[in-house]
Parts: sequence; C-alpha cells; structure tokens
Amino acid sequence: MLDRELKKGSAELIVLSILEARARHGYEISKLIEARSGGQVKFHIASLYPLLYRLEERGWVQGRWVEKAGQRRKRFYTLTPEGRRVLVRQRQTWKSFVQAMGLITGVDHV
Amino acid sequence: MSERPDTPGISTGGSENGWAAELRSRLARLRLDPAREAEIVEELSEHLDARYEELRAAGEQEEDARRQALEDLREPGALAGHMRSLRQARVPPPIAPGTPPTGFVLRDACQDLRYATRLIYKQPGFAAAAVLTLALGIGATSAIFSVVQAVMLHPLPYANPDRIVTIWETNRGGESRNVIAPANFVEWTERSRTLEHLGMVEGAGLVVLLDGHAIRTAGLRVSSGVFHAIGVLPALGRAYTPEEDGGDAVIVLTDQFWQRHLGGRQDVLGLTLSTADGPRTVVGVMPAGFTMLGQRADFLIPYGMTAADLRAYRGRGNSYAIARLRDDVSFEQAGAEMRGIFAQLEKEAPDRNATRTVMLFHPQEQMVGEVRPALRALMAAVALVLLIACVNVANLLLARSATREREVATRAALGAGRGRLIRQLLAESLVLAAAGGLAGLGVAALCHRGLLALVRDRIPVPRIDQAALDGSVVLFTLVTALAAGIVFGVVPAFVSTARPRDGLRDSGRHGGGQRLRRALSVLVVGEVALSLVLLTGAGLLMRGVLTLQRVDPGFRAEGVLTAVVSLPSARYELPAAERTLGELGARLAVLPGVEHVGGASCMPVPFPCIGTSFWRVDRPKPPDAQVPSSHVRPITPGYFRAMSIAHRAGRDFSAIDREDSPPVAIVSQELVRQQFPGEEPLGKRLRVNFNHANGRDDMEWTIVGVVGDTRSSLDGPVRQTIYVPRSQRPGTGLTFFLRTAGEGDSLGTSVMNVVRSIEPEAPVTLRPLEDWVGGTIARPRALSALVGAFALAALALAAIGVYGVMSYSVRARTQEIGLRLALGASAPGVGRLVLAQSLRLVGAGVLVGAAAAGALSRLLEQFLFGVDPLDPWTFALTPLALIAVAVVASYLPARRAMRMAPLDALRTS
Repeated sequence: MLDRELKKGSAELIVLSILEARARHGYEISKLIEARSGGQVKFHIASLYPLLYRLEERGWVQGRWVEKAGQRRKRFYTLTPEGRRVLVRQRQTWKSFVQAMGLITGVDHV
Repeated sequence: MSERPDTPGISTGGSENGWAAELRSRLARLRLDPAREAEIVEELSEHLDARYEELRAAGEQEEDARRQALEDLREPGALAGHMRSLRQARVPPPIAPGTPPTGFVLRDACQDLRYATRLIYKQPGFAAAAVLTLALGIGATSAIFSVVQAVMLHPLPYANPDRIVTIWETNRGGESRNVIAPANFVEWTERSRTLEHLGMVEGAGLVVLLDGHAIRTAGLRVSSGVFHAIGVLPALGRAYTPEEDGGDAVIVLTDQFWQRHLGGRQDVLGLTLSTADGPRTVVGVMPAGFTMLGQRADFLIPYGMTAADLRAYRGRGNSYAIARLRDDVSFEQAGAEMRGIFAQLEKEAPDRNATRTVMLFHPQEQMVGEVRPALRALMAAVALVLLIACVNVANLLLARSATREREVATRAALGAGRGRLIRQLLAESLVLAAAGGLAGLGVAALCHRGLLALVRDRIPVPRIDQAALDGSVVLFTLVTALAAGIVFGVVPAFVSTARPRDGLRDSGRHGGGQRLRRALSVLVVGEVALSLVLLTGAGLLMRGVLTLQRVDPGFRAEGVLTAVVSLPSARYELPAAERTLGELGARLAVLPGVEHVGGASCMPVPFPCIGTSFWRVDRPKPPDAQVPSSHVRPITPGYFRAMSIAHRAGRDFSAIDREDSPPVAIVSQELVRQQFPGEEPLGKRLRVNFNHANGRDDMEWTIVGVVGDTRSSLDGPVRQTIYVPRSQRPGTGLTFFLRTAGEGDSLGTSVMNVVRSIEPEAPVTLRPLEDWVGGTIARPRALSALVGAFALAALALAAIGVYGVMSYSVRARTQEIGLRLALGASAPGVGRLVLAQSLRLVGAGVLVGAAAAGALSRLLEQFLFGVDPLDPWTFALTPLALIAVAVVASYLPARRAMRMAPLDALRTS
C-alpha cells in the first residue's frame, strides 16, 4: 500500500480520474480504485464519501440519485465541466511532480 | 426507499436498518440537516450492503461479513472527522445565517426569515418593545392616512368627476370664492360653449311636518342641471325637470332623510310632504351616501325661479354654480371662455359686475382646499412619530447587536460575506417590521375610531365619514411597515458588520465599543431632535389654541342658552310672526332662572347674519371697490343685556322702535373707529344695502347707540357691525338668548313647553351659546390635540430611546465604573457621570432639534393665530420638558451604576 501522505495528496486526482469516463456510484468507485491499483490503493467508506461530498461542494462533481426498476436507488457521481478542468490541471501537476521526482531520485517510475 | 432485490442464498443479515443506526450514531455530532443525514445514511448503507454481500458471496459467515463491512467505517470518529470541514456539517445548516449563498436567492431568503423569526422568538422582551414601538408609529400613520385617503385621494363618487367644475365669482385680483349673481348665471348658461348642464347650488332649510311634529331639515336648492352635471340621478324615481325649476311643488329626498324620517317606506314616490312653506310632492330619492361635494343634505328642491326670474334677480344671493366640461374641452379652455364672457357682462351690467371676475374650480379642490393644510400638518407630524419609532427600534437593534458581535464575527470568520450578514440582519428587522405592521393595524383601528370621534360633528371635513380601514389602508400599512423595516434595519446592519472580525479579537464582552456607541449616540441625538421638532410644533399649536380661547368675543357666552325657533312661514305673515315671537320672548323672560332674554335673527357666531355694504349719508357714496361692508344683525330689545355686550353710548332699542317709526341703528365701536374717527357718531345716518321691513332698500338709518365690538369667530377679525331693530327687519325665525342664573339644564324643557304652547308646529333647537363659540375653534383645537398626542408619543419614544442607550452604556462601562468605585469615586459621583453623559446626548439633540424646529415652525404659521412661530416660551419650555424626561429616563441606569459593588463590577468579563 502506498504511503498515507502520498495517497492523501492524490486522492482527489484519483477520484476525478475514475469519474472521467462516466458516472459511477460510491461502491463502484471504491472497487475500481482497488482494481486499477492492483489492490495497492484502497479507499474506505469513512474517507471516500466525505471526499466525494467535498468535491461536490466545490462543484467539481455532481451527485444524483438514479432509480432503476426493481432496484434500490443509487447515488451516481459525474464530473462537472469545472471538475474536468481541474482534472486536466491536476494531471499536469502530477505529471510534472513525478518527472521532477524521477529526475531528483533517479527513479523512472513511481 | 425502494425494495431491496432478493438475492437467493444471501441473507439480509446486514439489513440497512442495522447499518442506519450505526451510521446515525457516527454522524450525530455533525448535526446535519435531517434530510441530508438521511441521504447520507441511505448512500452509505447501500455501500455497506454491497460490501456485505460481496463478503458473503466469498463464503464469509453472516457475523464475520457484517463485522468486516463495518471495519470499512474505521474507528468511530473517523467518518465525522472527515466530514467536519464540510459546509453541510455546519450547525444547523438549513437556517444558518450568513451561510454563503447557495445560489438560490429565494431559499436563502427563506432561511434568513426562519432564522430571524427564531431569534426574535427567543428574546420576547426585546421583540415586544420593538413591535410595540413600531405598531404605535405605523398604526398612527395608517389612521391618518385613512382620513387623507378618504378626503383627498379618493375620486368623488360622480360620473367622470374630473370633468366637473364649480363656478364662483370673486373680486378681481382676489382669490377667495364668492357667491355668484343669478342674473350672471343665466347669461353663462346661454353663452357658454365649453360647459354644459350648468346649475346653481345653495343651502336651504325646510321645516317638514311629520306626524304632527315640526322637523327642521337642511338641504339644498339646486337647479335641474346639477343632476346631469354631477351625473348622479335619483336611485328611486326621477330628478326634476327644467320646467319644474320655476316652481316649488316637488322635492327629491336623500336616502338619509328617507331612511331616518320615513322609515324607508316604499310608497315614498308621489307622497306629499307638508312643509312650513307649503306642500311638496316627492318625485325621487337620491342614492345612499350621496353628498353635494361632501355637503350632506336631507333634500334637494328647485330654486323656484324661471330664467326670467333669475335674470331679473338683483344682487348676489347665496349660490355657486356647477357644470360639466363638454367633450374635448379642457379645464383651462373653459376658464378662459368664462372669463371672456364675464368681461362682456361687466360691460353690459357694470353696476352688478364691476371689479369682479369668475373662477373655475375642480370640485375636489373646492372640497379639500380648506382642510388640506391641516391634513398635511398631521401627515408630517405622524411621519415624524413613525421616524422616531424607527430610530428607536434601530437603537434597540444596535444595542442588541453589541451582545451579538461574537456571533457575527464567527460567521464572518466561517466565510459569510458582508452582504450575506447584512441580509440576515435585515431579515430580522423585516420580521420585526411585519409583526409591527400587523400590530399597527390594530393600533390604526383604535386611532381611527378615536380620530373620527374627535373630528366628526365638530369639524366640517368633507367625506371624513367615509374614512375606513379598507384594503388600500391595509396595503399602505404593510408597505409602510416594510419601508420602516428597511429604514431602521439598515444602520444597525451596516454598523454591526463593518469590521465583523473585531468581535473575536475583542474581549468579547460588550466589546465593539467605540464604533457602536457612536452610532447609538447619533441615533439618540437624532431621536431627541425629531421629538423636539414635534413637541415644539405641538407646543406652538397649543399656545395658538390657548390664545384663541382667551380671545374675548365681545360677549359673555357662559350661562346663555340659545333657542332657535322657526314659525311655519306658510301660515304667518311677517307682522303676525313678529307679534307671536314677541309674545314668546315675554313668556320666556318670566321663566324661573332666566335673568335676561334677547332675540336676534341669527347666532353671533359663526354667521355674519347679513353681510352687506353701507356708507355715510353725509358723504358721497364711495366707488364700488372702496365701499365698506359690515355685518348687519337684526335684534330685539334686551339682546345686548342678555349677551352682556358692552354699552358705549346712546340708547338700546325699545318698544318705540316700530316698523313705521324712523329707521334706527346701533353700531359697533369698530365701525365708529373706521367711519367716524374723531367724530360723534350718534345722530349720523347710514345707507345700508338691504331691505327695510317696508321692502325699500334706500332707507336712511340713524345711529342711536354704540356698543362694544364682537367677533363672529374667535380666530377671525373684529368686523364693523350694524344692529337694527327686528321690528324694522323682521322674519319668521328668531334665535332667543336666555341668560340664566345657572340652572341651564332644566331650562330646556320649560323653553320647549312654552314654544309648543304657543305654536306646536314650530321646531326648536336648543344649544348652549358656549358650544357655538367653541365650535369656531374646533378645528385648531382638534389639530393641536392630535399633534399634541403625537408629540406625547414622540416624547415617550424618546424617553425609551434614552433609557435604552444609557442602560447599554452602563452595562458596557461596568468595568470602568467598578474601577472608579474601587479607586474611591463616590456613588453619587458615578450617578452624575451617567447623568452627564445622558445630558450631553440630549443637549446635542435639543440643539439640533431646536434649529430644525425654528426652520420648520414657519410652516405652521397659518394655524398659530397670532403666536409667533419662534415663540420664546415654547422654544424655552419644550427643551426643558424633553431634558426633564431624559433625566428621568436616565435615572434607572444611573442608579444601577451607583449601586454596583466595585469588586463584582471589576470581575465582570
């Protein structure tokens, strides 16, 4: 598992990236994060949802209850246009950061 | 919540209810909005369910799956810890004041209002003070507005009232309305191309006999054109026709007469009414509520004159004219045409029309012209009260905001913008204002009733009986309340949010100190100044009324009972009438308790009796414009004694002055002063422009006596007056003046009985002479009473304001006072400190107020009757009264300061 501090700084970027393709609900987001990181990154409930709510308050994502026949309703999150801009910016920053780290530490990939 | 799909083989051990209780306990301390909390619980339960089922599918036991799912929530405080910094977690979110805008203005506003209501609810004392203060100001304003609206703003109840004009004559260059010459009226009717439906109007009295009782009624003579000019026809029956104008056979009743005297009987049309002047047939009944330009009437009757009669009529009578503008004619065009016609008439009939001209008026102007200044003064006075009430509430809010500085500061620190904070504080004042407005409606209803009781039947204010608290008054009240809410809310809102974060830095006590105290002081100074303006105005008006009441009318009204008696003119020739009235006078004189009896053709107040021109026989007649005029009063012997009018020279009238004896006159000192300066008036002769009993108007009247001056109204000038014997100028009606030894009350019945025994069909009206005299100053009295009441309200409000600020100040200076006491200051010294501060404020207010009052008092000049608008007494006494009240209001706070225990005071923080 990645270092706690590192994860915290990148949590927003992670969630925004997960939502880039399409709207997803909370459980799906947590499962995707776990799957895509090969089990390395795990968001537990106590931090994932507050993070989602914060992103929502900032206007980067929007939560919406969606009902399907025969199923209980689920809250789906989508990226807002603003969220999309933030994602591009944060990706850029992250890339620069990783490159800088690579140059400094001689590690090619984190 | 939707149904949970049943998954075969998977138990519902992790039922969401189980999760929900757990989740709620973890979210509890965030105190989320209940709806939001439910959403979060639902979302997280769903997550936990999914996780639980995943674990079960992987083969975990129920209990283990449940435990592992919950582990995802981590330690009990984790969830709340992560959420605490979220906005939605703030306490309590939906009605948190000063939350950053949610983007929904309306929702924000609702939140603000709910929060405001809750806050006010929590401070009932403060709320009651504010609401009562506002209710007083708003209620009084609405009550006055209801009158202003009825009298000045409501359109007249006629068809197209803006097309109606009234026509008066006036002296060239003059501005006062004067009656028209009937002969001129006929010419206007024939020559005017801009006016139609011209008609004349004048007051008329009629004694109607109903069930053997003689009833004195008051109505109008109007020509048939008037019905069409105002566009109001009888609701029942018909108006009379131009052909009937020349006769006296018909009568149109008003609804009020029909209901009161005929019980609204349906067979009224065609009914023959017996009147003292002969029978009249009822042809119509006017609609309910009908008035002739605000003048109530019992009936309308024709003039009884044909066009030829009118043309031959010499003199001016007692009428004005009314007409309707033809289509496409403007008021100005009609006026120009009428002046042109009058210029021709002046050439054609110079003796009648020299130096005169004609004036057109809008009816509304004619009706309210006289009362408008008084109503304006009242509106101004009541607006001042409202303003003072607003200042007072602003003061209360400000003083309270001192205790809320921390709250405001905390909100600002949490990100609320200033605009948001101001909006929240304004919402509070609006809630207060709304409550004040509602309570104000109640106050308005009370004031309204009091106002009508004060004015009705005493002051002829047209249409005041139509003043009602209707929808528009309610609307006015609410708008006033809204405006008031903004006015008194703005200053405190801006002041207390100016540097909100100071509130946290300060000791947090009543800290914000300086800025706030300065604002409070400014408001109190303003309030005192406004109160002083109102007090000064009221003081001046009262001085005016006192001056009026001290005016000597020239006769002594106390102890005089008046009895107006009218003999039925159809049955009495003048000589017979005079004999009967003489006998009546003799019978009244011997009634027990009666000291003197005298008679006159009319009351000494407020009527001139006959107003006409006269000149000295021994001098050439002056040109028309300079011929003097006087009041002419036909009286019986004994009048001067009964009235206690001073005898100056010569003799009184007596039995030797008969119709066929030489015409004689007694004149007033004023007439002597103006016409006979330095000469002996006795024996001199006057020509008076009116008819002798013999019908001639060229008699020469020899002056046989001089008496003291009298006034026909207390607020009017002394007029030249000529008294002539009734025998030489008789009538069928006479007013008796009975000077009594004191028991005037029981006398009335005896007088009635005497009159009935001599002529049962003669109506009698009894009234103390003092009422008549008082009536002449009813208007200034009512105005000063109303403004006085407003001034007292203002004074009370100012006292509350001073008290509030001084209380606050003492509280805010608790530590300072404690320190002073600890360092050896005496308790009286501390009291003086508080008083001195209060006096400084009030003194400043008094200076500002006196300057303003000095500048404004000239506006009251016309109501002051000889009192200087800068009357030194008023300007000296009102500030003293205000200062005295301020000292009393400061007493309690000062006493509190004096009784502080130094140590307790120092510890306060």
